[in-house]
Amino acid sequence: MTTTTADSGELGAKQTSEAPGGKGLKTGALGLVSSLVIGVASTAPAYSLAATLGFVALVVGIQSPAVMLVAFVPMLFIAAAYYYLNRADPDCGTTFTWVTRAIGPKTGWIAGWAILVTDLVVMPNLASIAGVYSFSLFGAHGIAANSSGFWVTFVGVVWIIVMTAICFIGIELSARTQVALLGAEIVILFVFAVVALAKVYGGHVAHSVRPSFEWLNPFRIHPVGALSAGMLLAVFIYWGWDTAVTVNEEAKDARRTPGRAALMSTLVLLLIYVVVSVAAQSFHGAGFLANPNNYNDVLNALGTAVFGSPWNKLLIICVLTSASSSTQTTILPAARSSLSMAVHKAFPNRFADIHPKYLSPGFSTLMFGAVSVVWYVALTLISPNDVLKNSILALGFGIAFYYGLTGFACVFYYRRHIFKSVKNFIFIGLAPFIGAAILTVLFVIAVFYYSNPVNSSTGNQAWLPFIHFNFTFLHQHFYVKKGLGPPLVLGVGLLIIGIPLMLIWMVRHPDFFRRDREMAETVDSPAPPLTPGVTPVTD
Amino acid sequence: MAGDIVLGYDGSDGSNAALRVAVAVAKAFDAPLTIVFGYEPNPMGGETADYKFQLEKIGNGHLAQAVQEAKAIDASVAVEPVVAPLRPVESLLEASLERQARVIVVGGSGERPIVGAILGSVPHKLLHRSTVPVLVVPAED
Repeated sequence: MTTTTADSGELGAKQTSEAPGGKGLKTGALGLVSSLVIGVASTAPAYSLAATLGFVALVVGIQSPAVMLVAFVPMLFIAAAYYYLNRADPDCGTTFTWVTRAIGPKTGWIAGWAILVTDLVVMPNLASIAGVYSFSLFGAHGIAANSSGFWVTFVGVVWIIVMTAICFIGIELSARTQVALLGAEIVILFVFAVVALAKVYGGHVAHSVRPSFEWLNPFRIHPVGALSAGMLLAVFIYWGWDTAVTVNEEAKDARRTPGRAALMSTLVLLLIYVVVSVAAQSFHGAGFLANPNNYNDVLNALGTAVFGSPWNKLLIICVLTSASSSTQTTILPAARSSLSMAVHKAFPNRFADIHPKYLSPGFSTLMFGAVSVVWYVALTLISPNDVLKNSILALGFGIAFYYGLTGFACVFYYRRHIFKSVKNFIFIGLAPFIGAAILTVLFVIAVFYYSNPVNSSTGNQAWLPFIHFNFTFLHQHFYVKKGLGPPLVLGVGLLIIGIPLMLIWMVRHPDFFRRDREMAETVDSPAPPLTPGVTPVTD
Repeated sequence: MAGDIVLGYDGSDGSNAALRVAVAVAKAFDAPLTIVFGYEPNPMGGETADYKFQLEKIGNGHLAQAVQEAKAIDASVAVEPVVAPLRPVESLLEASLERQARVIVVGGSGERPIVGAILGSVPHKLLHRSTVPVLVVPAED
């Protein structure tokens, strides 16, 4: 009767369904609403808007709504890659394992690293937004205005510690509370947009501009560097949406729920972003959003004017709850990624530790929290006044990098099946490829754009002053005299640091790198365990 | 297999105390003992495959130990370990329904009431939701 099977030694096997004795017990199942809530809450629309809207306006002026619209395209296409990689291969895990499987262990390792550093880069931003809006909530606008001052940083650090503790202990909101919070967030954002537009059309707002369809035209954005920089920012606002697709391996109706949840959360997000960005910039004009006094906390600045006190507090609370779910959906996947890498012997063993009582990835969670605090404080000291700006501008690089890799991994993994049907061709070939290609192009153009410190809007602050270059690309003249823009150094620098780290790991622990590439046998059936023939996970 | 004794086990002191009582109860009723370890990652973080793998490994480890211990106490009791991908409370309720359990045995969590209220307490939730009797065994000092 003692049927406790030993470790299978294989990852990506259908572990759950083969749980010893687990037969008969139904697994946790997510309905359409839960999937939708997870997707939208992970994207955190109120926080994303608060963090990016000002900078998008700064980069592309009145074309912000157009950028929200266009940036959605690559994300939609990459979501197709997530959906298919996850559906045919539901238990194989993260971008890290997908890329390892499809493209190879070295690229896979770098993809895992990219997820970790991208999650790390967003943390100072989340913490500062939390600090700034917390002080605004209590009317301490003087303190809130200094987003890298001591008090905001202090509250930001406390925020990271509390959120890490919540993830470590494993406190979860009930499904109903989540629905209520998210519902309130969406309703408040729409009410904000409606009230703002009503006041604009009422004609009583100074510097207001009536909305124009021209705002939705991406071809009016010049130069191309500004378009791609704007899009990289906007890619961030859709970041996290893919979780709606990936959590659905256990959906109640696994065939239909994920697709419908993805489609619905798409429409909800797209609508919110376009409507709110149109309303926000019509209220006081794009210049107001891009004004250095406002771009750190646009929703706060506008909320006061649109709603008046005390109703503006609603908007502040909604940014805070949104930031809290966003922080958690940053810490949880980051910890799971390092856990995943450790389980596959691509990272130190300790990262795979599970806390005996709370059953959370204990070491991974605490390490991520600790590194985030150090990183946040260091960044605040290195670039006072620009923490929010630099972190948000740098983020797009990491996201574009690993989403792009996921898109290519999908095409590569299913390469034998792409031409078998029109549906295959579109969803596992064309869409992921175009999505990945767009993100790659954005990445490259933004590298050149941000190489010029002037474009990172941090005044002329430049990092790495020993770097000089001079060339022309896409009719743009690039002449860098002393140093690079901080977003480029942060965004790409952290990715590049991964390469020597990977090489060191390769020399010391070569097991993981002995894996072979794989291909999908079929599109719909589950794939075999990751890397048969190699037993990477036995202790 | 009706009339099982269902035991929630997570390796804690409380659950070890519960194990000893559960074996005695199973012996007294001449009923099989089902030992359950339930886990469910927070769906908010997405991407749970390797995490589940680790949790399952821990669950299997705990259960192997529990089975061994049960056999050591009384080898005549039939023991079946179950790792369930469900939250602990759900896994116990589900197992109790499926096995038409006579009683669910769990360890007292030993949490102080307020901590229990915040973090959620398995015995507390079971008392409210179970359709069969629940036996809560305090941890020995």
